Amino acid sequence: MSPAAEPTAGGTDAAADRAARLLRWYPAAWRARYGAEFAELLIADICERPRSATRTLDVARGGLMARLAAAGLAGSPVRPATGATTALDARHRQVRASLVSLGCASAVFGGFGAALWSQLTIGWQWSASASAAATVATVVTSAAMLAFLALAVLAALPALCAVAVTTARQRRGQQIVPAAVLTVAITVLFVGGRHFGNGWPGTGGHRGLVPAGLAAFEWATSLFVNAYWAHPSALAAFPGAELAWMAVSPLALACAVIAAATLLRRTELSPRLLAFEARLGMVACAAMAVFLAGCACWVATGGQRSVFHAGLIDVAGVAVMALALAIAQQAARTARLGLGFARH
Amino acid sequence: MPHEKAGSKRDRGDGGQSLAGFGRYAGPATLIMSSLADGTKHGYALTKDIESFAGVRISPGTLYEALARLESQGLIAAVESDDRRRPYRLTAAGAAALQAHLNAQRRVADVGLRRLAGNWGTA
Repeated sequence: MSPAAEPTAGGTDAAADRAARLLRWYPAAWRARYGAEFAELLIADICERPRSATRTLDVARGGLMARLAAAGLAGSPVRPATGATTALDARHRQVRASLVSLGCASAVFGGFGAALWSQLTIGWQWSASASAAATVATVVTSAAMLAFLALAVLAALPALCAVAVTTARQRRGQQIVPAAVLTVAITVLFVGGRHFGNGWPGTGGHRGLVPAGLAAFEWATSLFVNAYWAHPSALAAFPGAELAWMAVSPLALACAVIAAATLLRRTELSPRLLAFEARLGMVACAAMAVFLAGCACWVATGGQRSVFHAGLIDVAGVAVMALALAIAQQAARTARLGLGFARH
Repeated sequence: MPHEKAGSKRDRGDGGQSLAGFGRYAGPATLIMSSLADGTKHGYALTKDIESFAGVRISPGTLYEALARLESQGLIAAVESDDRRRPYRLTAAGAAALQAHLNAQRRVADVGLRRLAGNWGTA
């Protein structure tokens, strides 16, 4: 040990209180592993330097980085000091966290993407596009969205199988609640989407790029993404059922995403499945980038001469999708790094 | 003083690591591992030792960020302790990574000093 004089272990009460407050910047798993020893270091530091803005900023930054790492978006996994958990287990857990974040970011992207895409595809149902920008945007976004949906199905099926097998084998009661929430939320979204999609007033008689039923379903499930929220008087003119659906559908979508994330976080996935999901994630990021480029092309031209004009809500939608894509790419990168380490 | 022989089976589990992937944490990581090369130390002892030999005070957040990274990559390991201040030790993989990193740094330093001596007469 260092021969330097050290403050007594435990330090003063005031320093301990301040150390405890600083520790709150860190996530629970990090605190469980490093909390006690880190608090001792903080107490010693506070006793030596009672006032230090640099220390506070440093701890805040470290805490935020630890939270990003816990979400699988940066850094290294927390490795328990004791117990059977190996570095490899910790990395696999980190990769799983990255994939969960990738899935959540993709879901947000998909929600807002569906809102924009449904405008383009339904617009095409009413009349053929007269502008090159809208034509290119519709074709590009349609191809990218279909690829994105196919990838989502490919990713979800083996993951759901793994969740089901784990739940059945280990008889985990804690999986039942999120599984039930996921089932109910998806049922609500599907039934509601079908119901309100069927209520769409018509297609204008023109044959669109994608089946009218699919376009209407997308429109109905993303109905909550609209500019009417900023105009309460216009919103009040909506039928009560549609208003209720606009409130329920985002809630159901959020419940489905949170429940799926909870299930995945609690399920051990094999290294092969983790690698498969990570590769799909990378391809999904590419599909999302293509989709975003198509949307940006349409929004940049203001949706001129198309039935549905791009407005501020669409600009905001593109911004949200860009942010979601950045998070998804970071998660995919962290997962890839984790798997690269795991292969050593 | 090393606490184990290099290449022990336990520490080779994640072997082949280097400090190349540490980015901006390479500096703190090098200082921490250089300090641990002298024996086990807990967080406060590390801070004081690094301050004494490098003249740098590593802030608590940065120190533990680097410690967590080094530990997750198997370059250092926590030592069982009843004390709340848990000590850390360098692993064999960590010793090898530190050796490689310091050798690379020494090559750069040698070239720089040689050129300074040849052109500026200051080395």
